[in-house]
Order: sequence, then C-alpha cells, then structure tokens
Amino acid sequence: MCDFQPKLVAWLDHELPEDQAAEVERHVQACEECRAERENYEQVSGTIDAYCDAVMAAKTHRSTLRWVPAMSGALLAIAASVLFLTPQRHRIEPRPVITPAATAAPVQFLAAESVAHKKIHRRRAVLPVQGPSQQPAAKWQPAETAVQITIPAETMFAPGAIPEGMNFVAELSIGPDGSVERLRLRP
Amino acid sequence: MSDDSVPLALPFLRFAARSSEVTVLYRELRKPLLRYLVCLGLSSDEAQDVVQDSFVSLQHHLAAGGTQDNIRGWLFRVAHNQARNRQTSYHRRFGEPLDSEMDFIAAGATPEKAVLEKEKFRRLRSAIGLLAESERECLLLRAEGLRYREIGDVLGLATSTVADTIDRAIKKLAEKCNV
Repeated sequence: MCDFQPKLVAWLDHELPEDQAAEVERHVQACEECRAERENYEQVSGTIDAYCDAVMAAKTHRSTLRWVPAMSGALLAIAASVLFLTPQRHRIEPRPVITPAATAAPVQFLAAESVAHKKIHRRRAVLPVQGPSQQPAAKWQPAETAVQITIPAETMFAPGAIPEGMNFVAELSIGPDGSVERLRLRP
Repeated sequence: MSDDSVPLALPFLRFAARSSEVTVLYRELRKPLLRYLVCLGLSSDEAQDVVQDSFVSLQHHLAAGGTQDNIRGWLFRVAHNQARNRQTSYHRRFGEPLDSEMDFIAAGATPEKAVLEKEKFRRLRSAIGLLAESERECLLLRAEGLRYREIGDVLGLATSTVADTIDRAIKKLAEKCNV
C-alpha cells in the first residue's frame, strides 16, 4: 500500500494544510494506485450523497402520502356536515288561477286561514256574487285548478315516517255552481 | 428621538437583527439538517420537529448574546442531541427494510438502471449498517458539508479523531460496496 493513501480522504475533503495538499496532489498525479483509490473514494462519497437524497425524498414522500387518507376523510366529513346542517327549503309555487276573460270577474283571495294545530295555508277563490245583470254562472268555466291547499306532510304522518320538509298539495276544481268538481292530492 | 428612548430601542433592534440572521440561517441550513436527521433514523415529522426546536434554541442563544462562532456546528450539535434523545429505537429504524423507498428511488429510471441503482443502494445501506455509530455519524455530517472541525464540535471529538474516523469509514465502505 502506498504511504500517501492515509491522507487521500482528507486531501479530497480539502482538510490538509496547503503544503501537504500540494505534496499529495503531486504524488497522485504520478501514482496509478492512488489515482484509482481517489476515484474509488469519490465514487463512494457520491453514492452516499445520492443515497441521503433518496432517503430524504422517500421519507418525505411517505409522510405526505400518510396525510392523504386523513385529509380526504376530513373533507368528506365537512361536506357531509354542511349538507345535513343546511336548512332545506322547498318552495312551492302556487299555480296561477286563471280568471275567465269573458266574465272579467275578479278572483279574490282570502287571507290564509290557520288551522289550530296544522300549518295549512289555504287560499280560496271567491266567486263573484251572482246578480241579475251578470251572465249566468253556467258560462263560467275555470280552465284550471282554482284552489290549491298546501299541507305540510309532517302534520299528516308520524315524525320520521316521511322525509323532512315534504308537503302535499291539494288541488280543487271549482264547478260553475261553486261546488268542488274534482279534488286531487299530489306530493 | 429623545435620548432616553435609545436604550429602549436597542434591545428591539438587536432582537430584529438576530431574527433576520436566524431567518437567513434557516433558509440555508434547514434542508441539510433535515437530511442529516432523516438519514440518522428519524421520521420526517420527527426531523421537522427537531429542526424547528433547534432554530428556536438558536434564536434564544443569539438573543442572549451567545457566541456566534461556528453557528453551523452549534445548530447541528443541538439537533444531534435532540435526535439522540428521541432515538430510543435508532437501531431498529436504521435496520428497517427500505423496499418502498427503493421503489421510490428508482421511479423515474429505466428498468436496467433502476435495478442497478437499487442494488447499489442496498449494498451501501447494509455496509453503513455495519459501521460503528461514530463512523456513521461522521460520514453523515460530512455528507452535509460540515468540516472536520465542525463535525468534532457536534460529536465532541478531536479534529484528528474525526479525520481518522472518516478515513476508516470511507475505506470500509469502498471495500464492502465495491462501487
């Protein structure tokens, strides 16, 4: 073994005093064995560096991956909470009551009556009072439903039996004589 | 500014100057510190905690007027000591199979190169595992660019001892890995 080999690693790391470093450098240029050792040590140092980089990247990557299911679960939980906590509003638009143009009789809506324990909003079409100068009542033909009554479903069924916020709409067709011709109940 | 406001402002200015120094050091040394700690066997989360604690200690050290010589060595020493306190299972962790990491290492390489790289790292890993603890620590600190004097400060060794230890460790690895 060459006498300079114990100094090779320190020389590669620039840890030798200047005079010794210059001496080793001159020797390495002339000594084939030391040149081969230098290449060997440089390769080992490079491999250690690459290995440290790889371990660092792999551990960081693994740490990041570990958070993915946790974060996904948290996001799903938040989304579900928002969905269930948001108040559901079912807005029921009443159908327009069409007044026959021929009679030109105004259809008046009374104020919604409230039934004691049921939230029933009722609107009733009031037919014009027949007078001697008016057209016969038989000519008044309502083309569509004249009265709609919205009944909250929870007032009709036991709690939990039907989805929350569900309503039923009763549609009544009023005949020419003021009697109910047809009654249809739809959700 | 009145005369009596100067003594009040000075500690703040000194603190601000120290904070900017620590910020610069943090940008420069965070990654090498993390890499050293992770290679030493800490998990990524543990290593990040240790780095944060070390920089908080540095802030206190500088604010208290501590020495600024060899700040890099000082930081690595604090981090190294904290890592040692956490490393009850150091050897177990260092001996963990790195198969998943090996797959990650070779993810972007061609199949032939990936096989060679994996094999090279596997041999190096087993060879590092056979080194003495001081040899391993010296090598890892050297890989982070620390000078022999700084390594000696971190590990409490003489500079000549560090030189001998590194020389011995590199020769062992070169012999066992034959890379």
